Amino acid sequence: MLSLALVFLKIGVAAYGGGWTIVGIIRTEIVGRAWLSADEFARLIAVAQITPGPVALNAATLVGFKLHGLAGAAIATLSVVAAPVALSALVGLIAAKASKRGGRLTEALKTGTIGLISMTVWAFAPSAASSYMSAGLAALAFVVSAFTKINPLWLILGAGALGAAARAFFG
Amino acid sequence: MTDTDSPDRKPGFLDVFGVFFGISAVTIGGGYVMVPVIQRTIEKRGWLDEASFYDLFATAQSVPGPLALNTALFVGRRVAGPRGFAAAFLGIMLPPFASILVLASVLGAIGEWPAVRGFLEGAFAVVPGLTAALAFNMIKKRRWTVLRAAMTMAGAVAITLSGSWAVPVFFAVVAVSWLMERRRTC
Repeated sequence: MLSLALVFLKIGVAAYGGGWTIVGIIRTEIVGRAWLSADEFARLIAVAQITPGPVALNAATLVGFKLHGLAGAAIATLSVVAAPVALSALVGLIAAKASKRGGRLTEALKTGTIGLISMTVWAFAPSAASSYMSAGLAALAFVVSAFTKINPLWLILGAGALGAAARAFFG
Repeated sequence: MTDTDSPDRKPGFLDVFGVFFGISAVTIGGGYVMVPVIQRTIEKRGWLDEASFYDLFATAQSVPGPLALNTALFVGRRVAGPRGFAAAFLGIMLPPFASILVLASVLGAIGEWPAVRGFLEGAFAVVPGLTAALAFNMIKKRRWTVLRAAMTMAGAVAITLSGSWAVPVFFAVVAVSWLMERRRTC
């Protein structure tokens, strides 16, 4: 139990780059320690995908649950968010003061953030180009999200319904 | 809280909790989906304009952890102080935690249903478009200078090509931009 807490604490500190990167880090730690087999982990991630909420948090909760039940789920979840929450509180305090000095740091962070998103878009490009449906939906999502004020939630739910209908009719 | 540009209508604990609980409970697809959903939702509520949101989102990137959670924490704190921070934390964390505890035994089987698989294929197909639009909207809302444009292009190329070095390269890009901004304004 203690080692579970320590491993997820460590994952939380290293967890840069958003959900799928974090899932990769969790896989390295958990499968690398032989706590779960690669197969068991893959099945958990499939469940994490269909569970609402941030996928990295779902993965942590599921791994904890699988290993030690309810207590394990609570420990893994709280451990993985401990460092992010503490640092967010700290940076929030500093940023509130720093923003009075003209926001140079904020602008520098925006430069880096646009770079990180570019990397993510680049990584997604092959999957978006894999079929006419996914290319069309990706293009539609871009146009709606870039040029209208429509909440992207409707896009996700609409595209999901379309995908389910496509499966039902074409198998 | 004494943030300089606080919003007109100050939301309470339950307002902030309710918004993030709702978003976390219905959104699948991870951070780059949840961040645009958070942005549109709080803009509609009149809590935070789009440009200020991207400032917070960029700051949230400097902290490790799930992007959706960190962004929610920064937004919660900005719109309602420490109460908002706590409300955002609980709102994001509770829905997935509760659904896993209640549904863990059946979720694996549900994931095999063709309709569910189709739903996920469709829902995940919009993610690249939403992510690209997030970058586009940030670029649109930014105040540009020649220096910022040059650094942003160079940084995007460097980070995209950096592979497993993305995090150190990200911080290097931020540090160089910050130093150059400082020199110009001093």
